[in-house]
Amino acid sequence: MPNERIPDMGSTITIEKPVFNLLLSRLKEEGYLPIGPRVKNETLVYDEIESIDDLPQGYSTKQKPGNFRLVHEKHSRFFDIIPGAQSWKQFLFPSHTELFAMRKNGKSWEISSQPMEPPKYAFIGVRACELAAIQIQDGIFMREDFTDPHYRARRIHAFVISVNCTQPAGTCFCTSMGTGPRVKEEFDVNLTELDDVFVLTIGSEVARRLLAGIPFDDASGYILSNVERKLEHAEHQMTRKLDSSDLPNLIIDHLDHPYWLEIGKRCLSCTNCTQVCPTCFCWDTQDEMSLDGKTTRRNRLWDSCFNPGYSHQAGGNTRPTIYSRYRQWLSHKLGTWKEQFGTLGCVGCGRCITWCPAEIDITEEIAALRNEVNR
Amino acid sequence: MRYDKADVSRELEKIPWFKEIERKHLQRISDISHLRHVRAGEILFREGDQEDYLYIVIEGRVALDIFIPHRGKIRIFTAEPWDLFGWSSVIPNIYQRTAGAVAVVDGLVVGIDSAKLREACDADHDLGYLVMRRLSNIVASRLLVTRLQLIDMFASPEDKNAK
Amino acid sequence: MTMLATEIVRTHADLLLEPHWAEIKSIIPEAADIATYWIRFVDSDEQEAFRFEPGQFNMLYLPGFGESAISISSDPQDHEKIGHTVRFVGNVTRAVSRLKVGDIVSLRGPFGSHWPMKEMEGKDVFIACGGIGLPPLRPALYHIIQNRDKYGKVTLLYGARTSGDLMFPKEYEDWRKAGIDVEVTVDRGDANWNGRVGVVPMWFYQFRIDPHKTTILTCGPEIMIRFVIFEAMARRVPLDRIYVSLERNMKCGQGSCGHCQLGPYFICKEGPVFRFDELQSFFNVEEF
Ligand SMILES: Cc1cc2nc3c(=O)[nH]c(=O)nc-3n(C[C@H](O)[C@H](O)[C@H](O)COP(=O)(O)OP(=O)(O)OC[C@H]3O[C@@H](n4cnc5c(N)ncnc54)[C@H](O)[C@@H]3O)c2cc1C
Ligand code: SF4
Ligand code: SF4
Ligand code: FES
Repeated sequence: MPNERIPDMGSTITIEKPVFNLLLSRLKEEGYLPIGPRVKNETLVYDEIESIDDLPQGYSTKQKPGNFRLVHEKHSRFFDIIPGAQSWKQFLFPSHTELFAMRKNGKSWEISSQPMEPPKYAFIGVRACELAAIQIQDGIFMREDFTDPHYRARRIHAFVISVNCTQPAGTCFCTSMGTGPRVKEEFDVNLTELDDVFVLTIGSEVARRLLAGIPFDDASGYILSNVERKLEHAEHQMTRKLDSSDLPNLIIDHLDHPYWLEIGKRCLSCTNCTQVCPTCFCWDTQDEMSLDGKTTRRNRLWDSCFNPGYSHQAGGNTRPTIYSRYRQWLSHKLGTWKEQFGTLGCVGCGRCITWCPAEIDITEEIAALRNEVNR
Repeated sequence: MRYDKADVSRELEKIPWFKEIERKHLQRISDISHLRHVRAGEILFREGDQEDYLYIVIEGRVALDIFIPHRGKIRIFTAEPWDLFGWSSVIPNIYQRTAGAVAVVDGLVVGIDSAKLREACDADHDLGYLVMRRLSNIVASRLLVTRLQLIDMFASPEDKNAK
Repeated sequence: MTMLATEIVRTHADLLLEPHWAEIKSIIPEAADIATYWIRFVDSDEQEAFRFEPGQFNMLYLPGFGESAISISSDPQDHEKIGHTVRFVGNVTRAVSRLKVGDIVSLRGPFGSHWPMKEMEGKDVFIACGGIGLPPLRPALYHIIQNRDKYGKVTLLYGARTSGDLMFPKEYEDWRKAGIDVEVTVDRGDANWNGRVGVVPMWFYQFRIDPHKTTILTCGPEIMIRFVIFEAMARRVPLDRIYVSLERNMKCGQGSCGHCQLGPYFICKEGPVFRFDELQSFFNVEEF
């Protein structure tokens, strides 16, 4: 039964789960490319979503240091998974971007191709920590003094359907970083999944327009308290903690502490943590010249402070050892980031813990450093 | 040109370090010192020579060099006004010059008789302490220079010329 | 949330790392593996509009090879051309070494902080630099020379490995005539070298620096900078009157690629010239 009402800005409504497909079609009609979690090649990725059936219904993820398992638990929920290695970063700040191509013209060069207009993304299932990570990257790529045109082109149209986490994974610690599991702001639509309905909060005028004509009910007090209970439960379930009360000083005042050497012995400098981290933003450039030297492409690629080439310069390598690279990573994330961008660079998503082959755990390392320092 | 004792003490007194020591010690040192004019290119001593004088540059520039077979003489240090050179002559168990000294431009140096300076230091430990303290300062700064030269701070990792 | 409705920050440039073409007008060899390239933007309006402060740098780009941070070594008042003194060490700079007059490169810039030319007015200036650390200071020297009466005693203490590695030796006499005390030292001399032999930090004791009114500018190998700072501190020059210029790997010059970080600083943005008191806690941490 079509509903002629348009939900109010800031209001909370419920929709039947299949109705979500209507929302997806509306998004597509409006030119959006819906992206969401789905199972591909036996793992969890973020990819194009055609309908609700593409979502990982019945799946959960089990995560611990150095370990990620996607399990089919035969429940009926769509959003019980906690994200894997991928994050929205790969859409807003892709790991490989062609900046422009050039053709030789006499002695000079002319630009032969400009960046393509990126798709208008609709991100479906953005977790609270991931939204916080997007906000952090907004502050990096769209500053007063410098705006990255590629990031901006992807970001300004992005439609965000966020999701409250009700089943945190073993590596999550967003409560410590103050980012989750509850989504608070900066979404178009925020979704909480209950067993039989999706509970949606309307966060933007664009969302209101999109939802016009979609059947919904206002959320009852029973529903709202149910959502609240689930979120409180999720908060309690999150046992992993990172005490950030003495950050960034714990790190900045102890850059020469011998404990860094100790971590350096275990770190493989594989760059996994920086690649999966939704806030890491370092990049490198690459020129791809044709063999005849007449055309060249200028690319941008993700880089990592763990790459040996990252810090090479005329006088040699600034950080030739693994311990110094690990220290760079952590002292940036949980230290100097604060002075640079006003917040710490970690949102507590736990990816670096899950995807570290050496099982190095950022929460444990901070606790251990604190112990060593206070000994 | 000949200089008398008064000239020597006058020149020494200009040097900040000598201003700080007692009159009798200054006198003792200037008694065993002489002034010497040097011309550009004049060799004051050669590697392997017997140690005889400790020098202080008053004017000009004196280069210390080491002869490397097949490569010629390499200048490793220059002494500028008020710098001291030939310090090893005061150290009791070094008997030969470890580097040569050549005046780079016309100048004036004070030569202090090393053997007599050593005797004076033995006889008066207060003086000996002052002289040795000064020498250890000089040696420390030479060591720093040598270290910085040794690490070849201007080299890049790829540098073909890096030694 | 979609940002269409919210205020949108204006785009800085439509093309990230957009090239700005410039032509090499002349090439002056300076030493083994080092040459100065005199460059003009192809677009004369762009050339006309180009202004920089002493100590700033450009990103020099060669299509197909890449981009490197290179200091501007020319006179800030010379609006006709831009000078870059390049040491051939790696991928981009070795490709630069094969360029000829008339070839085209791209320059983006100027970027970064600059020497405190205004703050030093009325004060003595002591410049201690080594090797390829002189080119980024040459614009400061030109500025001082053009405004000589605004500064007190000005000393340039410059060191290189050998006499053949000294930058701009032909200009020293002009600088001396303009009232700058130019003192040069080499690590190793041969029999033809009549100048000083030794290292820059060590010669400090020879110059009577008045710590109350001297500003120290230093640039060169980091190890040299470290010892220059020791010496300056030993002479009680306050830390906020010591300025250093640092080098790090750089890919963007705009505080975005992350490479040039030193602690909280992006050297391409907050640097390359730093007041030492702002740097001290990070500068001495090994491999940081
Ligand atoms: C602010 C600033 C100003 C500067 N001003 C000047 C200037 O005026 N003149 C000047 O000549 N230079 C200047 N530089 C230095 C210049 O930017 C560097 O020398 C730059 O690295 C040159 O780029 P390149 O591509 O030629 O060398 P690169 O290819 O980057 O090589 C640099 C060094 O790193 C080594 N290296 C690079 N990548 C690797 C890797 N993956 N593994 C191992 N080794 C590696 C190379 O072998 C080489 O020794 C400046 C730097 C900065 C930051
Ligand atoms: S540092 Fe680790 S936990 Fe923190 S945001 Fe990055 S990947 Fe997530
Ligand atoms: S420096 Fe390292 S930790 Fe910081 S943003 Fe870059 S890759 Fe991430
Ligand atoms: S050079 Fe890219 S951040 Fe400084």
